[in-house]
Amino acid sequence: MFDVYKIREDFPILKRKIKGKTLVYFDSGATSQKPEMVIEAMNKYYRETNANIHRGVYEMSIESTRLVDETRALVAEFIGGRTEEVIFTRNTTEGINLVAYSWGEENIKEGDAIVITKLEHHSNMIPWQELCRKKKAELRVVEVNKKGELESSGERKMMEENGLKVVIGGWKELLDSRVKMVAFTGQSNALGTVTMMEEIVRSVRKQAPIALILVDGAQMVPHMKVDVSKMNVDFLAFSGHKMVGPTGVGVLWGRKEVLNKMKPFLYGGDMIGEVRLVGTTFAGLPNKFEAGTPDIAGIIGLGAAVDYLSNIGMNEIREHEKELIGYALGKMEELESKGLVEIYGPRVADERGGVLTFNVKGVHAHDAAQVLDKYGIAVRSGQHCGAPVVERFMTPAMARASFYVYTTKEEIDFMMEKIKEVPKVFEI
Amino acid sequence: MWILGGVQVEFIDMDYKEEIIDHYKHPRNFGDLEEPCTTVGENNSSCGDMVQIKGRLDRDNRIHVLRWRGVGCAISTAAASMLSEKVVGMNKTELESFGEAGIVGLLGGEINAGRMKCATLAYRAILRLFEA
Repeated sequence: MFDVYKIREDFPILKRKIKGKTLVYFDSGATSQKPEMVIEAMNKYYRETNANIHRGVYEMSIESTRLVDETRALVAEFIGGRTEEVIFTRNTTEGINLVAYSWGEENIKEGDAIVITKLEHHSNMIPWQELCRKKKAELRVVEVNKKGELESSGERKMMEENGLKVVIGGWKELLDSRVKMVAFTGQSNALGTVTMMEEIVRSVRKQAPIALILVDGAQMVPHMKVDVSKMNVDFLAFSGHKMVGPTGVGVLWGRKEVLNKMKPFLYGGDMIGEVRLVGTTFAGLPNKFEAGTPDIAGIIGLGAAVDYLSNIGMNEIREHEKELIGYALGKMEELESKGLVEIYGPRVADERGGVLTFNVKGVHAHDAAQVLDKYGIAVRSGQHCGAPVVERFMTPAMARASFYVYTTKEEIDFMMEKIKEVPKVFEI
Repeated sequence: MWILGGVQVEFIDMDYKEEIIDHYKHPRNFGDLEEPCTTVGENNSSCGDMVQIKGRLDRDNRIHVLRWRGVGCAISTAAASMLSEKVVGMNKTELESFGEAGIVGLLGGEINAGRMKCATLAYRAILRLFEA
């Protein structure tokens, strides 16, 4: 049984006061809060086990190595991949950069095309922009419609600046045999849009047969059941800190056949086979992509986070968030009908994660966020590392309330009540 | 009275200082300036705020006249408006020593660290008038 009040007991920070008021944490899209057991797992590691991995023959080093190996297997099971396909990174951004540098440098050449979408977080946009600029490849960007969904077809627009050629249009028209990579988000961080993964993947495989597919799972893996064995994609990148784990650790999952053909991204210790002054060889998967001492405590914390989420159940978490966003949309639409707010993104809970994006009419998102902060409500405001999608809605900034496993309907009611106070402050 | 996560909470009302609201609602020196003048711009990439400043310096390299336009929040708008009055007559050294502390002072003495980028947007642009 999903019991949000019981879950809240696991998160010590939720008892914190902000300016004397109980914290209402609505910024889980930026980073989630951490349950006691995740914090404890890392403390325990530092207190009892701390030793480097793959180095010593003594007991603590072997224990450390085993903990990291076990976590890798746990993460693999969690996403339906094979253990050696799980590469520990710092975060989603590093995972995507790993692919852009290692695979991209070797495989993208002049005349090739890379497809991304306007929904992308900057982390799944800038690495591809730079790669295309360097290689004189074409960057194709899938347009977003008024509802906040990806356009399947539409008018084609071209732009060129600083040696980068960009084509904007619907995804069906942007896919062809020149496309070598399709990188898109599973769930938009700015609008909460859950993208039509199956349909897009099917089209890519048919229309762009040599293209690899990378899914930015930063906002997806923490919130719904993900199974890479069924997704028919090549890469999935996500971060630990958005899924009740610690900062500093993320995961790049890649299909073994693809990863095996890629060159290392970072060179150094722990990623080598044999080292000679001439003729050094590299380790196999996954070590090939994990140079240097990793964030061992972070990895162990991520393992505890995966355990925590698995015990609740990813489908249960998605159901909880669906109920929350459905509820929040309903409440927000009441304010919308009074002319108080604007809402951005899909209006159907099925097509949207627990992310409510809005503006109080006539008030800049930063000001709305600061008024809400006075009541202990933490919402994000600004461009959400997704300038192109925010600008698409002709506004300089948006406010975003993002929910998670510990969010309650009472908290949403509380925010709705306080949103009504916002215009009064600015005499609107 | 609210019950959140099983805890009873109370709260006090917030205040954006009256002066900030006044400048936000009625920005001073807002608008265009005829040529010849220097035009500089600045934006905050994380929040989408932007400001354009047009100004003329006098013979002693002091700000003689200044107009501004922009899109932004209450803090960045009020700061631009207040500065547009305050900086007339200043030279580069005086403006530099006025600094961030001066802006916080103009805004009533309390700006949280997360809003400093908003508060200093126009200031960063105005400083560049002296570079042109």
